[in-house]
Amino acid sequence: MSTIEQKTHGILAEFKNPGHLMKAAKLTNKAGYKKFDCHSPFPIHGMDDAMGLKPSKLGFIVMGHALIGFLGGLALQIWTSSIAYPINISGKPFVNLPAFIPVTFELTILLSAFGAVFGMFFLNNLPKLHNSLFNSERFKKATDDGFFVVIESDDALYDASKTRQFLESAGAVHIETIEK
Amino acid sequence: MHHAKLIDNLTYPETANTHKLFFGIAAIAGLLSIAGLFTDTRQFFFSYLTSFVFIISISLGSLFFVMIHHITRSEYGVTLRRIPETFASYIYILGFLFVPILFGMDYLYLWMDEAVLAKDQLIADKTPYLNQTFFIIRNVIYFAVWGFLGYKLYANATKMDETGDWGIDTSQRKVSAPGVFLFAFTVAFAAFDWMMSLDPAWFSTMFGVYFFSMSFQVFFAVVILMALYLRSKGLLANTIKEAHLRDMTLLFFGFTVFYAYIAFGQYFLIYYANFPKEILWFYNRFENGYATIAWALLFGKFIIPFILLLPAKAKSNMKLVGSVAVMIIVLHFVEIYWIIMPVLHKGDISIHWLDITLLVTMISVFMGLFFNKFRQNNMVANNDPKLEASLSKH
Repeated sequence: MSTIEQKTHGILAEFKNPGHLMKAAKLTNKAGYKKFDCHSPFPIHGMDDAMGLKPSKLGFIVMGHALIGFLGGLALQIWTSSIAYPINISGKPFVNLPAFIPVTFELTILLSAFGAVFGMFFLNNLPKLHNSLFNSERFKKATDDGFFVVIESDDALYDASKTRQFLESAGAVHIETIEK
Repeated sequence: MHHAKLIDNLTYPETANTHKLFFGIAAIAGLLSIAGLFTDTRQFFFSYLTSFVFIISISLGSLFFVMIHHITRSEYGVTLRRIPETFASYIYILGFLFVPILFGMDYLYLWMDEAVLAKDQLIADKTPYLNQTFFIIRNVIYFAVWGFLGYKLYANATKMDETGDWGIDTSQRKVSAPGVFLFAFTVAFAAFDWMMSLDPAWFSTMFGVYFFSMSFQVFFAVVILMALYLRSKGLLANTIKEAHLRDMTLLFFGFTVFYAYIAFGQYFLIYYANFPKEILWFYNRFENGYATIAWALLFGKFIIPFILLLPAKAKSNMKLVGSVAVMIIVLHFVEIYWIIMPVLHKGDISIHWLDITLLVTMISVFMGLFFNKFRQNNMVANNDPKLEASLSKH
Protein backbone atom coordinates (compact mmCIF):
# COMPACT_ATOMS: atom_id res chain seq x y z
CA MET A 1 0.00 0.00 0.00
CA SER A 2 1.20 3.50 -0.71
CA THR A 3 1.99 5.97 2.01
CA ILE A 4 -0.62 8.39 0.73
CA GLU A 5 -3.79 8.35 2.82
CA GLN A 6 -5.71 5.16 2.41
CA LYS A 7 -9.24 5.44 1.16
CA THR A 8 -12.02 3.42 2.67
CA HIS A 9 -14.36 1.32 0.59
CA GLY A 10 -17.02 1.19 3.25
CA ILE A 11 -18.11 -0.36 6.49
CA LEU A 12 -18.80 -4.06 6.81
CA ALA A 13 -21.18 -5.22 9.51
CA GLU A 14 -21.85 -8.82 10.39
CA PHE A 15 -25.21 -10.04 11.66
CA LYS A 16 -26.12 -13.14 13.57
CA ASN A 17 -28.68 -14.74 11.28
CA PRO A 18 -30.86 -14.15 8.22
CA GLY A 19 -33.61 -12.62 10.36
CA HIS A 20 -31.28 -10.00 11.80
CA LEU A 21 -29.83 -9.34 8.36
CA MET A 22 -33.29 -8.78 6.95
CA LYS A 23 -34.12 -6.34 9.77
CA ALA A 24 -30.82 -4.53 9.25
CA ALA A 25 -31.48 -4.27 5.51
CA LYS A 26 -34.87 -2.72 6.22
CA LEU A 27 -33.38 -0.23 8.68
CA THR A 28 -30.56 0.71 6.31
CA ASN A 29 -33.02 1.29 3.51
CA LYS A 30 -35.24 3.32 5.81
CA ALA A 31 -32.30 5.41 7.01
CA GLY A 32 -31.88 6.55 3.42
CA TYR A 33 -28.67 4.80 2.41
CA LYS A 34 -28.56 4.06 -1.28
CA LYS A 35 -25.18 2.44 -1.88
CA PHE A 36 -25.33 -0.59 0.33
CA ASP A 37 -25.49 -4.30 -0.23
CA CYS A 38 -26.25 -7.48 1.69
CA HIS A 39 -24.32 -10.72 1.51
CA SER A 40 -25.48 -14.11 2.67
CA PRO A 41 -24.50 -17.71 1.89
CA PHE A 42 -27.91 -18.39 0.39
CA PRO A 43 -30.72 -16.37 -1.18
CA ILE A 44 -33.17 -14.93 1.34
CA HIS A 45 -36.74 -14.59 0.20
CA GLY A 46 -38.06 -11.04 0.48
CA MET A 47 -34.61 -9.46 0.59
CA ASP A 48 -35.26 -7.37 -2.52
CA ASP A 49 -38.22 -5.71 -0.84
CA ALA A 50 -36.37 -5.26 2.45
CA MET A 51 -33.52 -3.51 0.69
CA GLY A 52 -35.93 -1.42 -1.35
CA LEU A 53 -34.52 -2.67 -4.65
CA LYS A 54 -36.44 -1.73 -7.75
CA PRO A 55 -37.23 -4.38 -10.37
CA SER A 56 -34.26 -5.01 -12.64
CA LYS A 57 -33.93 -2.96 -15.80
CA LEU A 58 -32.63 -6.01 -17.62
CA GLY A 59 -36.01 -6.66 -19.25
CA PHE A 60 -35.87 -3.36 -21.12
CA ILE A 61 -32.33 -4.04 -22.32
CA VAL A 62 -33.43 -7.44 -23.64
CA MET A 63 -36.51 -5.91 -25.27
CA GLY A 64 -34.36 -3.31 -27.03
CA HIS A 65 -32.03 -5.96 -28.37
CA ALA A 66 -34.95 -8.14 -29.43
CA LEU A 67 -36.46 -5.31 -31.45
CA ILE A 68 -33.12 -4.55 -33.10
CA GLY A 69 -32.75 -8.24 -33.98
CA PHE A 70 -36.30 -8.44 -35.30
CA LEU A 71 -36.20 -5.29 -37.43
CA GLY A 72 -32.57 -5.75 -38.42
CA GLY A 73 -33.19 -9.33 -39.53
CA LEU A 74 -36.18 -8.32 -41.61
CA ALA A 75 -34.41 -5.29 -43.09
CA LEU A 76 -31.35 -7.33 -44.03
CA GLN A 77 -33.40 -9.91 -45.90
CA ILE A 78 -35.68 -7.41 -47.59
CA TRP A 79 -32.69 -5.36 -48.74
CA THR A 80 -30.61 -8.29 -50.00
CA SER A 81 -33.36 -10.23 -51.72
CA SER A 82 -35.43 -7.43 -53.20
CA ILE A 83 -33.11 -4.44 -53.66
CA ALA A 84 -29.47 -5.43 -53.77
CA TYR A 85 -29.69 -8.73 -55.61
CA PRO A 86 -33.22 -9.85 -56.47
CA ILE A 87 -33.41 -13.51 -57.43
CA ASN A 88 -36.56 -15.19 -58.63
CA ILE A 89 -37.01 -18.30 -56.48
CA SER A 90 -39.72 -20.53 -57.96
CA GLY A 91 -41.85 -17.50 -58.78
CA LYS A 92 -42.25 -16.37 -55.17
CA PRO A 93 -42.37 -12.66 -54.41
CA PHE A 94 -39.07 -10.93 -53.68
CA VAL A 95 -40.33 -9.71 -50.34
CA ASN A 96 -41.44 -13.10 -49.12
CA LEU A 97 -42.34 -12.63 -45.44
CA PRO A 98 -43.08 -16.26 -44.46
CA ALA A 99 -39.67 -17.26 -45.81
CA PHE A 100 -38.02 -14.49 -43.81
CA ILE A 101 -39.48 -15.57 -40.48
CA PRO A 102 -36.83 -18.19 -39.50
CA VAL A 103 -33.90 -15.79 -39.89
CA THR A 104 -35.83 -12.96 -38.23
CA PHE A 105 -36.78 -15.28 -35.37
CA GLU A 106 -33.22 -16.54 -34.88
CA LEU A 107 -31.76 -13.03 -34.91
CA THR A 108 -34.36 -11.87 -32.40
CA ILE A 109 -33.45 -14.72 -30.07
CA LEU A 110 -29.71 -14.31 -30.60
CA LEU A 111 -29.67 -10.59 -29.84
CA SER A 112 -32.04 -11.06 -26.88
CA ALA A 113 -29.67 -13.63 -25.43
CA PHE A 114 -26.71 -11.31 -25.97
CA GLY A 115 -28.69 -8.49 -24.41
CA ALA A 116 -29.57 -10.64 -21.39
CA VAL A 117 -26.04 -11.91 -20.74
CA PHE A 118 -24.05 -8.76 -21.49
CA GLY A 119 -26.75 -6.54 -20.01
CA MET A 120 -26.43 -8.54 -16.80
CA PHE A 121 -22.63 -8.05 -16.92
CA PHE A 122 -23.10 -4.33 -17.46
CA LEU A 123 -25.64 -3.88 -14.66
CA ASN A 124 -23.41 -5.81 -12.25
CA ASN A 125 -20.25 -3.91 -13.24
CA LEU A 126 -18.69 -7.12 -14.49
CA PRO A 127 -16.05 -8.22 -15.29
CA LYS A 128 -14.32 -6.98 -12.18
CA LEU A 129 -10.90 -8.31 -11.23
CA HIS A 130 -10.99 -7.36 -7.61
CA ASN A 131 -13.51 -6.24 -5.03
CA SER A 132 -12.31 -4.33 -1.97
CA LEU A 133 -14.45 -6.59 0.20
CA PHE A 134 -11.94 -9.37 -0.41
CA ASN A 135 -9.49 -7.39 1.77
CA SER A 136 -11.50 -8.53 4.76
CA GLU A 137 -10.64 -11.92 6.25
CA ARG A 138 -13.98 -12.09 7.91
CA PHE A 139 -15.92 -11.54 4.67
CA LYS A 140 -14.94 -15.05 3.57
CA LYS A 141 -17.67 -16.27 5.90
CA ALA A 142 -20.20 -14.90 3.40
CA THR A 143 -19.97 -18.20 1.55
CA ASP A 144 -20.45 -20.22 4.71
CA ASP A 145 -22.23 -18.75 7.74
CA GLY A 146 -21.78 -14.98 7.61
CA PHE A 147 -24.56 -12.45 7.05
CA PHE A 148 -23.23 -9.05 6.10
CA VAL A 149 -24.35 -5.53 5.31
CA VAL A 150 -21.89 -3.24 3.54
CA ILE A 151 -22.46 0.51 3.38
CA GLU A 152 -20.14 2.07 0.83
CA SER A 153 -18.23 5.29 1.52
CA ASP A 154 -19.54 6.76 -1.78
CA ASP A 155 -22.99 7.03 -0.25
CA ALA A 156 -24.18 10.59 0.28
CA LEU A 157 -25.14 9.87 3.89
CA TYR A 158 -21.89 8.09 4.70
CA ASP A 159 -20.04 9.35 7.73
CA ALA A 160 -17.36 7.13 9.28
CA SER A 161 -18.52 7.39 12.88
CA LYS A 162 -22.24 7.93 12.35
CA THR A 163 -22.61 5.01 9.97
CA ARG A 164 -20.70 2.81 12.40
CA GLN A 165 -23.03 3.85 15.20
CA PHE A 166 -26.03 3.23 13.03
CA LEU A 167 -24.93 -0.31 12.19
CA GLU A 168 -24.22 -1.02 15.85
CA SER A 169 -27.72 0.12 16.75
CA ALA A 170 -29.09 -2.11 13.98
CA GLY A 171 -27.73 -5.10 15.87
CA ALA A 172 -24.42 -5.90 14.20
CA VAL A 173 -22.23 -8.39 16.06
CA HIS A 174 -19.02 -7.27 14.37
CA ILE A 175 -18.09 -4.12 12.48
CA GLU A 176 -15.00 -3.33 10.46
CA THR A 177 -13.85 -0.70 8.01
CA ILE A 178 -12.90 -2.00 4.58
CA GLU A 179 -9.87 -0.38 2.94
CA LYS A 180 -9.66 0.13 -0.78
CA MET B 1 -40.08 -20.03 7.74
CA HIS B 2 -43.82 -20.37 7.98
CA HIS B 3 -45.59 -23.56 7.13
CA ALA B 4 -48.74 -23.06 5.18
CA LYS B 5 -51.73 -25.17 6.13
CA LEU B 6 -54.81 -26.15 4.25
CA ILE B 7 -57.57 -23.94 5.60
CA ASP B 8 -60.14 -24.07 2.82
CA ASN B 9 -63.11 -26.38 2.49
CA LEU B 10 -61.96 -29.56 0.82
CA THR B 11 -65.14 -30.45 -1.00
CA TYR B 12 -67.27 -28.82 -3.62
CA PRO B 13 -70.52 -27.60 -2.02
CA GLU B 14 -73.06 -30.45 -1.78
CA THR B 15 -75.92 -28.16 -2.63
CA ALA B 16 -74.36 -26.89 -5.86
CA ASN B 17 -76.20 -28.30 -8.85
CA THR B 18 -73.68 -27.20 -11.44
CA HIS B 19 -73.53 -30.65 -13.01
CA LYS B 20 -77.31 -30.98 -13.21
CA LEU B 21 -77.52 -27.61 -14.93
CA PHE B 22 -75.00 -28.74 -17.53
CA PHE B 23 -76.68 -32.10 -18.06
CA GLY B 24 -79.99 -30.29 -18.55
CA ILE B 25 -78.54 -28.03 -21.24
CA ALA B 26 -76.88 -31.05 -22.82
CA ALA B 27 -80.20 -32.91 -23.00
CA ILE B 28 -82.02 -30.03 -24.71
CA ALA B 29 -79.24 -29.21 -27.17
CA GLY B 30 -78.64 -32.91 -27.77
CA LEU B 31 -82.27 -33.58 -28.69
CA LEU B 32 -82.26 -30.63 -31.09
CA SER B 33 -79.10 -31.98 -32.68
CA ILE B 34 -80.56 -35.44 -33.14
CA ALA B 35 -83.29 -33.85 -35.28
CA GLY B 36 -80.46 -32.54 -37.44
CA LEU B 37 -79.07 -36.05 -37.82
CA PHE B 38 -82.07 -36.91 -40.02
CA THR B 39 -82.25 -33.67 -41.97
CA ASP B 40 -78.54 -32.93 -42.61
CA THR B 41 -76.72 -36.18 -41.93
CA ARG B 42 -73.39 -35.23 -43.44
CA GLN B 43 -73.37 -31.84 -41.69
CA PHE B 44 -74.26 -33.56 -38.42
CA PHE B 45 -71.22 -35.80 -38.47
CA PHE B 46 -68.83 -33.02 -39.44
CA SER B 47 -70.16 -30.77 -36.68
CA TYR B 48 -70.05 -33.68 -34.27
CA LEU B 49 -66.42 -34.44 -35.08
CA THR B 50 -65.46 -30.76 -34.70
CA SER B 51 -67.06 -30.45 -31.27
CA PHE B 52 -65.78 -33.82 -30.14
CA VAL B 53 -62.18 -33.00 -31.03
CA PHE B 54 -62.62 -29.71 -29.18
CA ILE B 55 -63.53 -31.33 -25.86
CA ILE B 56 -61.21 -34.34 -26.10
CA SER B 57 -58.25 -32.03 -26.73
CA ILE B 58 -58.84 -30.46 -23.30
CA SER B 59 -58.89 -33.90 -21.67
CA LEU B 60 -55.72 -34.91 -23.48
CA GLY B 61 -53.90 -31.73 -22.45
CA SER B 62 -54.97 -32.40 -18.86
CA LEU B 63 -53.81 -36.00 -18.98
CA PHE B 64 -50.40 -34.98 -20.28
CA PHE B 65 -50.05 -32.28 -17.64
CA VAL B 66 -50.84 -34.71 -14.80
CA MET B 67 -48.34 -37.28 -16.08
CA ILE B 68 -45.56 -34.73 -16.55
CA HIS B 69 -46.34 -33.32 -13.12
CA HIS B 70 -45.85 -36.75 -11.52
CA ILE B 71 -42.74 -37.66 -13.48
CA THR B 72 -40.95 -34.46 -12.59
CA ARG B 73 -42.19 -34.63 -8.97
CA SER B 74 -43.33 -31.05 -9.35
CA GLU B 75 -44.52 -28.96 -6.45
CA TYR B 76 -45.86 -25.89 -8.21
CA GLY B 77 -49.14 -27.36 -9.32
CA VAL B 78 -50.10 -29.69 -6.47
CA THR B 79 -52.78 -27.31 -5.19
CA LEU B 80 -54.63 -27.21 -8.50
CA ARG B 81 -53.72 -30.61 -9.93
CA ARG B 82 -57.12 -32.03 -9.04
CA ILE B 83 -58.68 -29.95 -11.83
CA PRO B 84 -56.68 -31.58 -14.67
CA GLU B 85 -56.88 -34.94 -12.86
CA THR B 86 -60.66 -34.71 -12.97
CA PHE B 87 -60.70 -33.65 -16.63
CA ALA B 88 -58.56 -36.67 -17.50
CA SER B 89 -60.47 -39.10 -15.29
CA TYR B 90 -63.47 -39.62 -17.57
CA ILE B 91 -61.88 -40.03 -20.99
CA TYR B 92 -63.31 -43.56 -21.04
CA ILE B 93 -66.80 -42.03 -20.99
CA LEU B 94 -65.84 -39.69 -23.82
CA GLY B 95 -64.78 -42.86 -25.66
CA PHE B 96 -68.47 -43.78 -25.87
CA LEU B 97 -69.20 -40.35 -27.31
CA PHE B 98 -66.80 -41.24 -30.11
CA VAL B 99 -68.94 -44.20 -31.22
CA PRO B 100 -71.33 -42.09 -33.37
CA ILE B 101 -68.34 -41.03 -35.45
CA LEU B 102 -67.69 -44.68 -36.29
CA PHE B 103 -71.24 -44.87 -37.66
CA GLY B 104 -70.68 -41.70 -39.67
CA MET B 105 -67.44 -42.77 -41.28
CA ASP B 106 -69.13 -43.11 -44.66
CA TYR B 107 -70.12 -39.45 -44.49
CA LEU B 108 -66.85 -38.17 -43.07
CA TYR B 109 -64.01 -39.98 -44.72
CA LEU B 110 -63.38 -39.94 -48.43
CA TRP B 111 -61.26 -43.10 -48.23
CA MET B 112 -64.39 -45.05 -47.31
CA ASP B 113 -65.83 -44.35 -50.76
CA GLU B 114 -65.16 -47.19 -53.23
CA ALA B 115 -65.72 -44.86 -56.18
CA VAL B 116 -62.96 -42.55 -54.96
CA LEU B 117 -60.59 -45.46 -54.38
CA ALA B 118 -61.17 -46.78 -57.89
CA LYS B 119 -60.38 -43.38 -59.39
CA ASP B 120 -57.51 -42.21 -57.20
CA GLN B 121 -54.53 -44.55 -56.99
CA LEU B 122 -52.78 -42.34 -54.42
CA ILE B 123 -55.62 -42.80 -51.93
CA ALA B 124 -56.12 -46.44 -52.88
CA ASP B 125 -52.49 -47.12 -51.96
CA LYS B 126 -53.21 -45.94 -48.43
CA THR B 127 -56.01 -48.42 -47.75
CA PRO B 128 -53.78 -50.87 -45.81
CA TYR B 129 -53.79 -48.16 -43.15
CA LEU B 130 -56.93 -46.22 -43.95
CA ASN B 131 -59.65 -48.85 -43.80
CA GLN B 132 -62.66 -49.20 -41.58
CA THR B 133 -61.53 -52.20 -39.51
CA PHE B 134 -58.10 -50.84 -38.70
CA PHE B 135 -59.57 -47.39 -37.98
CA ILE B 136 -61.92 -48.88 -35.39
CA ILE B 137 -59.15 -51.00 -33.85
CA ARG B 138 -56.87 -47.99 -33.56
CA ASN B 139 -59.53 -45.86 -31.93
CA VAL B 140 -60.34 -48.60 -29.43
CA ILE B 141 -56.64 -48.63 -28.54
CA TYR B 142 -56.47 -44.85 -28.19
CA PHE B 143 -59.43 -44.66 -25.84
CA ALA B 144 -58.32 -47.74 -23.90
CA VAL B 145 -54.90 -46.18 -23.28
CA TRP B 146 -56.16 -42.69 -22.41
CA GLY B 147 -59.14 -43.98 -20.48
CA PHE B 148 -56.97 -46.28 -18.39
CA LEU B 149 -54.27 -43.66 -17.70
CA GLY B 150 -56.75 -40.95 -16.74
CA TYR B 151 -58.88 -43.26 -14.62
CA LYS B 152 -55.91 -44.86 -12.86
CA LEU B 153 -54.19 -41.57 -12.02
CA TYR B 154 -57.42 -40.21 -10.62
CA ALA B 155 -58.27 -43.35 -8.65
CA ASN B 156 -54.77 -43.40 -7.15
CA ALA B 157 -54.96 -39.74 -6.26
CA THR B 158 -58.29 -40.04 -4.47
CA LYS B 159 -57.06 -43.16 -2.70
CA MET B 160 -54.18 -41.10 -1.33
CA ASP B 161 -56.68 -38.49 -0.12
CA GLU B 162 -58.30 -41.15 2.05
CA THR B 163 -55.42 -43.34 3.16
CA GLY B 164 -52.58 -40.82 3.24
CA ASP B 165 -50.29 -43.53 1.90
CA TRP B 166 -47.33 -41.74 0.34
CA GLY B 167 -46.26 -44.90 -1.44
CA ILE B 168 -49.03 -44.13 -3.93
CA ASP B 169 -46.91 -41.23 -5.12
CA THR B 170 -44.41 -43.77 -6.44
CA SER B 171 -47.07 -45.78 -8.24
CA GLN B 172 -48.31 -42.54 -9.83
CA ARG B 173 -44.86 -42.11 -11.36
CA LYS B 174 -44.84 -45.73 -12.48
CA VAL B 175 -48.11 -45.17 -14.34
CA SER B 176 -47.03 -41.80 -15.74
CA ALA B 177 -43.64 -42.70 -17.21
CA PRO B 178 -44.83 -45.36 -19.68
CA GLY B 179 -48.01 -43.31 -19.97
CA VAL B 180 -46.22 -40.36 -21.56
CA PHE B 181 -44.56 -42.72 -24.02
CA LEU B 182 -47.89 -44.23 -25.07
CA PHE B 183 -49.53 -40.80 -25.06
CA ALA B 184 -47.09 -39.43 -27.63
CA PHE B 185 -47.92 -42.13 -30.18
CA THR B 186 -51.64 -42.36 -29.58
CA VAL B 187 -52.22 -38.61 -29.76
CA ALA B 188 -50.20 -38.26 -32.95
CA PHE B 189 -52.01 -41.12 -34.67
CA ALA B 190 -55.40 -40.00 -33.38
CA ALA B 191 -54.75 -36.60 -34.99
CA PHE B 192 -53.80 -38.33 -38.25
CA ASP B 193 -56.91 -40.50 -38.14
CA TRP B 194 -59.53 -37.99 -37.07
CA MET B 195 -58.50 -34.88 -38.94
CA MET B 196 -55.64 -35.44 -41.36
CA SER B 197 -57.32 -38.37 -43.10
CA LEU B 198 -60.28 -36.14 -43.96
CA ASP B 199 -58.06 -35.06 -46.84
CA PRO B 200 -56.66 -38.51 -47.57
CA ALA B 201 -54.29 -37.36 -50.31
CA TRP B 202 -52.68 -34.83 -48.01
CA PHE B 203 -50.19 -35.54 -45.25
CA SER B 204 -48.02 -33.64 -42.83
CA THR B 205 -45.65 -35.46 -40.51
CA MET B 206 -45.99 -32.57 -38.07
CA PHE B 207 -49.73 -32.91 -37.76
CA GLY B 208 -49.60 -34.97 -34.57
CA VAL B 209 -47.37 -32.46 -32.80
CA TYR B 210 -49.54 -29.70 -34.19
CA PHE B 211 -52.65 -31.19 -32.57
CA PHE B 212 -50.76 -31.74 -29.32
CA SER B 213 -49.47 -28.16 -29.23
CA MET B 214 -53.01 -26.86 -29.74
CA SER B 215 -54.36 -29.11 -27.02
CA PHE B 216 -51.72 -28.20 -24.49
CA GLN B 217 -52.15 -24.49 -25.13
CA VAL B 218 -55.90 -24.63 -24.63
CA PHE B 219 -55.47 -26.82 -21.56
CA PHE B 220 -53.68 -24.03 -19.72
CA ALA B 221 -56.39 -21.56 -20.72
CA VAL B 222 -59.06 -23.91 -19.37
CA VAL B 223 -57.31 -24.71 -16.11
CA ILE B 224 -56.63 -21.03 -15.40
CA LEU B 225 -60.29 -20.19 -16.00
CA MET B 226 -61.44 -23.09 -13.81
CA ALA B 227 -59.17 -21.96 -10.98
CA LEU B 228 -60.41 -18.38 -11.35
CA TYR B 229 -64.01 -19.64 -11.34
CA LEU B 230 -63.48 -21.63 -8.14
CA ARG B 231 -61.78 -18.67 -6.50
CA SER B 232 -64.59 -16.36 -7.52
CA LYS B 233 -66.98 -18.74 -5.70
CA GLY B 234 -64.76 -18.50 -2.63
CA LEU B 235 -63.54 -22.08 -3.07
CA LEU B 236 -59.86 -22.91 -2.56
CA ALA B 237 -59.16 -19.18 -2.31
CA ASN B 238 -56.32 -19.77 0.15
CA THR B 239 -55.12 -22.92 -1.58
CA ILE B 240 -54.78 -21.91 -5.21
CA LYS B 241 -52.86 -18.71 -4.67
CA GLU B 242 -51.68 -15.95 -6.98
CA ALA B 243 -48.29 -17.68 -7.15
CA HIS B 244 -49.84 -20.86 -8.56
CA LEU B 245 -51.93 -18.96 -11.08
CA ARG B 246 -48.85 -17.03 -12.10
CA ASP B 247 -46.94 -20.27 -12.70
CA MET B 248 -49.75 -21.60 -14.85
CA THR B 249 -49.75 -18.32 -16.77
CA LEU B 250 -46.02 -18.63 -17.38
CA LEU B 251 -46.58 -22.08 -18.85
CA PHE B 252 -49.61 -20.81 -20.76
CA PHE B 253 -47.42 -18.11 -22.28
CA GLY B 254 -44.63 -20.59 -23.03
CA PHE B 255 -46.92 -23.05 -24.77
CA THR B 256 -48.55 -20.24 -26.73
CA VAL B 257 -45.12 -19.66 -28.24
CA PHE B 258 -44.67 -23.41 -28.69
CA TYR B 259 -47.99 -23.65 -30.52
CA ALA B 260 -47.03 -20.78 -32.82
CA TYR B 261 -43.68 -22.38 -33.54
CA ILE B 262 -45.24 -25.71 -34.52
CA ALA B 263 -48.20 -24.26 -36.43
CA PHE B 264 -45.97 -21.90 -38.37
CA GLY B 265 -43.35 -24.63 -38.92
CA GLN B 266 -45.95 -26.85 -40.58
CA TYR B 267 -47.23 -24.04 -42.77
CA PHE B 268 -43.76 -22.77 -43.64
CA LEU B 269 -42.36 -26.09 -44.89
CA ILE B 270 -45.37 -26.75 -47.07
CA TYR B 271 -45.50 -23.17 -48.36
CA TYR B 272 -41.82 -23.13 -49.26
CA ALA B 273 -41.73 -26.50 -50.99
CA ASN B 274 -44.95 -25.60 -52.81
CA PHE B 275 -45.80 -29.13 -53.97
CA PRO B 276 -49.31 -29.25 -55.41
CA LYS B 277 -50.42 -32.26 -53.36
CA GLU B 278 -49.30 -30.60 -50.12
CA ILE B 279 -50.18 -26.98 -50.77
CA LEU B 280 -53.76 -27.82 -51.70
CA TRP B 281 -54.67 -28.32 -48.05
CA PHE B 282 -53.67 -24.76 -47.22
CA TYR B 283 -55.02 -23.47 -50.51
CA ASN B 284 -58.50 -24.64 -49.52
CA ARG B 285 -58.08 -23.01 -46.12
CA PHE B 286 -56.92 -19.63 -47.43
CA GLU B 287 -60.06 -18.90 -49.42
CA ASN B 288 -62.71 -16.31 -48.56
CA GLY B 289 -63.98 -16.80 -45.01
CA TYR B 290 -61.34 -19.39 -44.23
CA ALA B 291 -58.65 -16.81 -44.97
CA THR B 292 -60.23 -14.52 -42.38
CA ILE B 293 -60.03 -17.37 -39.86
CA ALA B 294 -56.38 -17.99 -40.74
CA TRP B 295 -55.53 -14.35 -40.04
CA ALA B 296 -57.57 -14.43 -36.84
CA LEU B 297 -55.59 -17.46 -35.70
CA LEU B 298 -52.25 -15.80 -36.44
CA PHE B 299 -53.16 -12.71 -34.44
CA GLY B 300 -55.50 -14.14 -31.83
CA LYS B 301 -53.60 -17.29 -30.93
CA PHE B 302 -50.10 -15.89 -31.06
CA ILE B 303 -49.32 -12.23 -31.75
CA ILE B 304 -51.90 -10.58 -29.45
CA PRO B 305 -51.50 -13.03 -26.51
CA PHE B 306 -47.73 -12.84 -26.90
CA ILE B 307 -47.64 -9.04 -26.69
CA LEU B 308 -50.27 -8.86 -23.92
CA LEU B 309 -48.65 -11.48 -21.70
CA LEU B 310 -45.02 -10.52 -22.32
CA PRO B 311 -44.56 -7.99 -19.47
CA ALA B 312 -43.84 -9.59 -16.09
CA LYS B 313 -46.67 -7.60 -14.47
CA ALA B 314 -49.23 -8.80 -16.99
CA LYS B 315 -48.71 -12.40 -15.89
CA SER B 316 -50.16 -11.67 -12.46
CA ASN B 317 -53.02 -9.51 -13.76
CA MET B 318 -55.72 -12.18 -13.64
CA LYS B 319 -58.35 -10.10 -15.44
CA LEU B 320 -56.04 -9.84 -18.42
CA VAL B 321 -54.91 -13.46 -18.25
CA GLY B 322 -58.52 -14.63 -17.96
CA SER B 323 -59.54 -12.61 -21.02
CA VAL B 324 -56.67 -14.00 -23.05
CA ALA B 325 -57.64 -17.51 -21.89
CA VAL B 326 -61.20 -17.01 -23.14
CA MET B 327 -59.89 -15.78 -26.48
CA ILE B 328 -57.61 -18.81 -26.83
CA ILE B 329 -60.41 -21.26 -26.01
CA VAL B 330 -62.75 -19.68 -28.59
CA LEU B 331 -60.03 -19.62 -31.25
CA HIS B 332 -59.05 -23.19 -30.43
CA PHE B 333 -62.52 -24.27 -31.48
CA VAL B 334 -62.35 -22.00 -34.53
CA GLU B 335 -59.05 -23.60 -35.51
CA ILE B 336 -60.49 -27.12 -35.32
CA TYR B 337 -63.42 -25.85 -37.40
CA TRP B 338 -60.90 -24.41 -39.87
CA ILE B 339 -59.12 -27.77 -40.10
CA ILE B 340 -62.23 -29.92 -40.50
CA MET B 341 -64.94 -27.88 -42.22
CA PRO B 342 -63.27 -26.97 -45.54
CA VAL B 343 -63.66 -30.65 -46.39
CA LEU B 344 -67.44 -30.30 -46.21
CA HIS B 345 -67.95 -26.69 -47.28
CA LYS B 346 -65.30 -26.07 -49.88
CA GLY B 347 -64.74 -22.47 -50.90
CA ASP B 348 -66.33 -20.55 -48.08
CA ILE B 349 -67.55 -20.80 -44.51
CA SER B 350 -71.13 -21.84 -44.06
CA ILE B 351 -72.13 -21.97 -40.44
CA HIS B 352 -74.90 -24.44 -39.76
CA TRP B 353 -77.14 -24.48 -36.68
CA LEU B 354 -75.83 -27.97 -35.94
CA ASP B 355 -72.36 -26.48 -35.39
CA ILE B 356 -73.79 -24.54 -32.49
CA THR B 357 -76.17 -27.08 -30.95
CA LEU B 358 -73.57 -29.84 -31.07
CA LEU B 359 -70.91 -27.58 -29.60
CA VAL B 360 -73.26 -26.66 -26.76
CA THR B 361 -74.13 -30.34 -26.24
CA MET B 362 -70.52 -31.45 -26.14
CA ILE B 363 -69.36 -28.68 -23.83
CA SER B 364 -72.31 -29.27 -21.50
CA VAL B 365 -71.71 -33.01 -21.34
CA PHE B 366 -68.01 -32.38 -20.80
CA MET B 367 -68.49 -29.82 -18.04
CA GLY B 368 -71.37 -31.75 -16.48
CA LEU B 369 -69.18 -34.83 -16.21
CA PHE B 370 -66.44 -32.66 -14.77
CA PHE B 371 -68.54 -31.18 -11.98
CA ASN B 372 -70.18 -34.51 -11.32
CA LYS B 373 -66.73 -36.01 -10.65
CA PHE B 374 -65.38 -32.92 -8.98
CA ARG B 375 -68.00 -32.85 -6.23
CA GLN B 376 -67.54 -36.51 -5.34
CA ASN B 377 -64.00 -36.13 -4.03
CA ASN B 378 -61.75 -33.54 -2.47
CA MET B 379 -60.94 -30.54 -4.63
CA VAL B 380 -57.33 -30.68 -3.56
CA ALA B 381 -54.89 -33.53 -2.87
CA ASN B 382 -54.94 -33.01 0.90
CA ASN B 383 -52.51 -35.83 1.72
CA ASP B 384 -50.02 -35.23 -1.05
CA PRO B 385 -46.41 -35.28 0.24
CA LYS B 386 -45.64 -32.14 -1.75
CA LEU B 387 -48.75 -30.20 -0.79
CA GLU B 388 -47.12 -28.23 2.02
CA ALA B 389 -44.26 -27.13 -0.21
CA SER B 390 -46.79 -26.10 -2.84
CA LEU B 391 -48.90 -24.16 -0.35
CA SER B 392 -45.82 -22.25 0.86
CA LYS B 393 -45.23 -20.86 -2.60
CA HIS B 394 -45.24 -17.12 -2.86
